[in-house]
Amino acid sequence: METRDLGSTGHESTVVTFGAIALNWLEQEGANQLVELVLDRGVNHFDVAPTYGDAELKLGPKLRQHREEIYLGCKTQERDYDGARRKLERSLDRLGVDHIDLYQVHGLEYEDELEAITGEDGALAAFRDAKAEGLIGDIGLTSHGNPQLILDAMDRIDDLATLMFPLNPVVAAKGDDGHDYEAVLERAEEAGIGTLGIKAFAKGSWPPTEELPEADRPYANWYEPVETPEAIRERFDFAASQGLSTVVSPGDPKLVAMVLDAATRYDGMSEHEQRSLIEEARHDDSPVPEQLHH
Amino acid sequence: MDVPRTVTTALEDRPVDGAICLEAGAGVGNTTAGLLANGAACVYAVTDDRTHAETTLERVLANHNLADRNRDGEQIERHLAVLEADLRRVPLPNDTVEVITAHGLFNVVPPADLDAIIGELTRVAASGCHLVVDDYEPLPETAAVRDLFALENAAAQLVDAKPMLTFYPSATLAWLFAGHGWTVDRSRTLLDPVPWTESHLEAHADVVRSKIDALPADSELGGALLERAEALVAAIGSESAGEMYSIAFRRPE
Repeated sequence: METRDLGSTGHESTVVTFGAIALNWLEQEGANQLVELVLDRGVNHFDVAPTYGDAELKLGPKLRQHREEIYLGCKTQERDYDGARRKLERSLDRLGVDHIDLYQVHGLEYEDELEAITGEDGALAAFRDAKAEGLIGDIGLTSHGNPQLILDAMDRIDDLATLMFPLNPVVAAKGDDGHDYEAVLERAEEAGIGTLGIKAFAKGSWPPTEELPEADRPYANWYEPVETPEAIRERFDFAASQGLSTVVSPGDPKLVAMVLDAATRYDGMSEHEQRSLIEEARHDDSPVPEQLHH
Repeated sequence: MDVPRTVTTALEDRPVDGAICLEAGAGVGNTTAGLLANGAACVYAVTDDRTHAETTLERVLANHNLADRNRDGEQIERHLAVLEADLRRVPLPNDTVEVITAHGLFNVVPPADLDAIIGELTRVAASGCHLVVDDYEPLPETAAVRDLFALENAAAQLVDAKPMLTFYPSATLAWLFAGHGWTVDRSRTLLDPVPWTESHLEAHADVVRSKIDALPADSELGGALLERAEALVAAIGSESAGEMYSIAFRRPE
């Protein structure tokens, strides 16, 4: 499987990163098998979080067995020093390891959160202390939020090694600043910051719960995913060809094998095929009636 | 407003900045928006469809946010004229336009009108004018949407005695323009495959519907065409097939 520099971290990540939230939906035996499958396909970058149910616990056994083969990312939603430190120690404990390779600020959404994490008593101070102690390696940030906020974060966090943010044709089809993650990607490339793409397989939001109760959704994802091998491959190829360091696999274990297959076969995507997907998404979501053309 | 990637890709290597432009067949104004975004000195957006003319104006002006509407201290209105006119008689003087776009135009031009329109575009083109023609290659035989477009053409032939859609090969249009003195500057693929989404198919079914409305109410043929079109839209859903190309021409200096 293709590998790419994860920014300036010195690590070369496989073009797909295993989103270990998928383990939360499996019994331990199934979780072990999924990790073995992912490793068998050559994936060397895993991502997990304490908020993903039991994912840390279920990743633990196989993570410890194969620790040297895995670049491990984890994250915290805590914004202050003490909270972040507690969550880090808890994750180390639940994972059963003494080192996390990439520790990330999880889900930055608001300006005041950026203030909080960069403050004296902020989460990043705890990250830096933990890095000095050897508990973590690189420092990263994840966000589904406003691209402008991510750009601000890049300006304000000097030791930021990676960024995780959404990128897919639906997002790319929207030309407004509120969806301009391509600007984030461009700036990250210039700054030598590694980039992890999420929501690559999102087709759209789930129908409202009164139409489809949460318990009746056929997938565990936050969003309704694409689900055919062809569509998965198109979406993977699109995300991987935008210049991301790596594309995070979706949160439902039923989709992971198809994504691994797409990643194994990845050999680029022509610009006209990329535009086809963007065009398709643009028309699916178009406010303008009666469009005969592209 | 969002300018589609097909438009930005077709225009990205054309000298639009400061140019007098003509959008031939303005549709809903996407290319006009692209030309203005790229700094066109002025855009004449020509369409023979009043609804399209109104939509172009509405989308490019009213939907523009205020910040975008100011350029060099001027309102964007001063850079745009939407003209409701027949492209066989373009209401512009000879040798005036520096950049012409025909984005998705020729597939709605019947073969009988091709020469007159190319002649008019050539007449208004200034010496050294750039012309961008973006359109669709004929669909592969396996494409299911061909059947829907065939029904659309059948309905149009019944009502107007001319087809609604003709997908001209890029080579054919290149030869026609060459016959009027244009030379090919470059050609590229905009979309391959072309995504014919549910909203496209619905729009094409609406064309069948509007044509059928013009037939006598007891027309059995009309009813059958519409029924078949609606069944096709439901059966196909969406399909990705074919190629959209962009050819850039120059008029010799």
